[in-house]
Amino acid sequence: MKIRRAAAGATIAALLPFTGVALAQNAPAGDSNAEIRREIEEQKQRLLILERKLENQQEAATAAAATAPRITASASRFQIGSTDNSNFIRLRGTLHADVRTYGGDSVPEIADTFILRRVRPTIEGTFGGIYDFKFMPDFASGRTAVIDAYPAARFNPGAIVTVGKFKPPVGLERLQSSADIRFIERGLPTNLVPNRDLGVQLSGDFSGGAVSYAVGYFNGVTDGQSSDNLATPDVEVDTAGDYAARLFFQPFANSSNFNLRGLGVGVGTTWVDVDGTAANTALSAYRSPGQQSVFAYRANTATGVTPNNATFADGTRLRLAPQFYYYRGSFGLLGEYTQVEQDVSRLVGGVTRSDTLTNSAWQAQFSWFLTGEEEAFRGYTPGSTFQPGKSGSGGWELVARYHELDIDDDAFLGGATSFANPLTAVSKATAYGVGVNWYPWNTVKLSLNYELTEFEGGATTGDRADEQALLSRFAINF
Amino acid sequence: MEQTNWKRRLLIAMSTAVFIGGTATVAQAAEVKLLNVSYDPTRELYADFNKSFAEYWKKKTGDTVTINQSHGGSGRQARSVIDGLAADVVTLALAADVDAIANNGKLLPVNWEERLPDHSAPYTSTIVFLVRKGNPKNIKDWGDLVRPGIGVITPNPKTSGGARWNYLAGWAWAKKQPGGSDATAKEYIRKLYKNVPVLDTGARGSTTTFVHRGIGDVALSWENEAWLAIKELGPDKVEIVIPSISILAEPSVAVVDKVVLRRGTRAIAEEYLKYLYTPEGQEIAARNYYRPRNAAVAAKHTELFPKLDLVTIKDFGGWTKAQKEHFGDGGIFDQIQTQ
Repeated sequence: MKIRRAAAGATIAALLPFTGVALAQNAPAGDSNAEIRREIEEQKQRLLILERKLENQQEAATAAAATAPRITASASRFQIGSTDNSNFIRLRGTLHADVRTYGGDSVPEIADTFILRRVRPTIEGTFGGIYDFKFMPDFASGRTAVIDAYPAARFNPGAIVTVGKFKPPVGLERLQSSADIRFIERGLPTNLVPNRDLGVQLSGDFSGGAVSYAVGYFNGVTDGQSSDNLATPDVEVDTAGDYAARLFFQPFANSSNFNLRGLGVGVGTTWVDVDGTAANTALSAYRSPGQQSVFAYRANTATGVTPNNATFADGTRLRLAPQFYYYRGSFGLLGEYTQVEQDVSRLVGGVTRSDTLTNSAWQAQFSWFLTGEEEAFRGYTPGSTFQPGKSGSGGWELVARYHELDIDDDAFLGGATSFANPLTAVSKATAYGVGVNWYPWNTVKLSLNYELTEFEGGATTGDRADEQALLSRFAINF
Repeated sequence: MEQTNWKRRLLIAMSTAVFIGGTATVAQAAEVKLLNVSYDPTRELYADFNKSFAEYWKKKTGDTVTINQSHGGSGRQARSVIDGLAADVVTLALAADVDAIANNGKLLPVNWEERLPDHSAPYTSTIVFLVRKGNPKNIKDWGDLVRPGIGVITPNPKTSGGARWNYLAGWAWAKKQPGGSDATAKEYIRKLYKNVPVLDTGARGSTTTFVHRGIGDVALSWENEAWLAIKELGPDKVEIVIPSISILAEPSVAVVDKVVLRRGTRAIAEEYLKYLYTPEGQEIAARNYYRPRNAAVAAKHTELFPKLDLVTIKDFGGWTKAQKEHFGDGGIFDQIQTQ
């Protein structure tokens, strides 16, 4: 402002001599100096008035900008909000179009398919800088389900209360957004942790994110499942809820040591005393990396008046999930071990067999941006974008992983009275996966994965044939 | 087992509710805050008054109160409150702007004026002329303002309460001239605004235009704003001219019911406004050049507030009528602006 006034003053000062000369040249003889000074004063007033009007216009524009809604439509974000960003609504979306093909004999040709894996328009937002919400339905695979729906109150970074349907705080890769997972399908450990559930959670960060915690109480879901997959979706069915908790540390998150900044370690857990029944078993099947069902407890085979002889959950279910990740520059490493200890029972021939089974899985996953972008647990930003006819290749990333699923051997003991049928259910799966991701745009990702999975058991003779899955995905995530 | 689970869930639900409520309560109890949305020239008055009230409240209740201020053209401020600015109290330039909040925003009852003494106007002021030292253009009364070549500084009546008082004072003078009528008054006002080179949005902006930017020959000013300019610049720069007639300007104050109900601040907001009527509050108003209602306090400051012939808003049929007739859409001010 001072500069502008000074400039105007300088302009006036520069003009005055010329004005005076001009006036003097045109003035009739006898005009007094007072008349010239009056003319000069009038010119000066005009300039001052113009300057003041400009000043007022700028003030009005500034005031209008301060209260005008802020609309953002960038390469990766679409939202409308208040100027201070304390109130906004954001439109998001996830569209994953996949192609699955299989080699070898383990999967029938009919399983080769195009599939819409996720179709999720999402609305999320914040009110008052404190109250958040998210609503995310899914229309994939010919069904409509609410995947996430919750309000949350962020009283401070250390105390966030969330109520509704969302991911319980357990599995590391499960907690990673579907837009951010490096493989098309999550690894075998995700079979053992809950997907989405209804409940209440208190969570938060301390020390600038160096310590994160979450504790919650949920309706409870079976291994790998979401509450919308229940026979009666999104309601409590077994009268027992899961307690869930997770503690995660990033001890060097705020350190100047860039070698260790990307290190995070933690553990998640759930506990419930669940009373399943033969009709409502409260047990899950497990899937291979190619999304084929490879393990299930015995289902009911009884007919007539014979009691239902399916295996069912009957007591404590305890999940433990130690986990870590490490990101440095273009390299990323993610690892997790998951164990579920489950009391089960089965009524066969009038005798009820009970046992505690321990199933486990683990994975180690590597990722590397060939094009130099930063690896991170959440998000990615390609260093360049790909547009035909222009320079820029987008971001290219190589990924590899090893993962295992190990079913408790006791599940197969007892011949016909066993909890799982060794002729159809595998006792172990060992998988090797490699893949390449191409990020031509901030919101676009094309992936190609190859997974080879070897099994133990699960066949009438010997082992179930290896699964060779070639999965590809065209994804839009914004 | 089912009963146990039911109890467990009830416990969790209660704990969650207690946590949410408790956190909110703690957050609120940490500091009592009030927002006073006021008009342009009251910055100094309320800076002074808020300090005194905070001390008074601390002494009375032990609580700490922080009063935040918002200032701008009175009409614009009223619009902001209607649009959602969470004012616990409004202290605006005229009743019409509080009426707008009551009628258009439905944020307080229409009889708000009756809730405090002196129809909720705890202090008054009037409109005077501020001219350059020595009064080089020899401006003595309203008639001088329409002489060719006189630059008159006054804000926009559409956004400024003070500007509306200026306008009405001029109108009153014109009507009181021999042969005066609504038609002659309208013509006078038309000529007057023809001499206005800049229409600021508020009174403080006009003071800046006249005093600091050196524009114009005379500023139509709140009496308090004129005194403040002299205090700031010194009596060797500008001086006050008292016209033959002016208007009793009655700035209005009110608690915004819907906001205090939501924020739980009604008691303190009411006490805040009542404190304006106490001898302490009246003294603060007087030393900031507002005319106190309290006769005893006024008697101590007679040198600041000369007596003059004052019309009131009642002479215009009240604010509802005056607002519609002169400043509403298509009103007289709009008409003269388009001529």
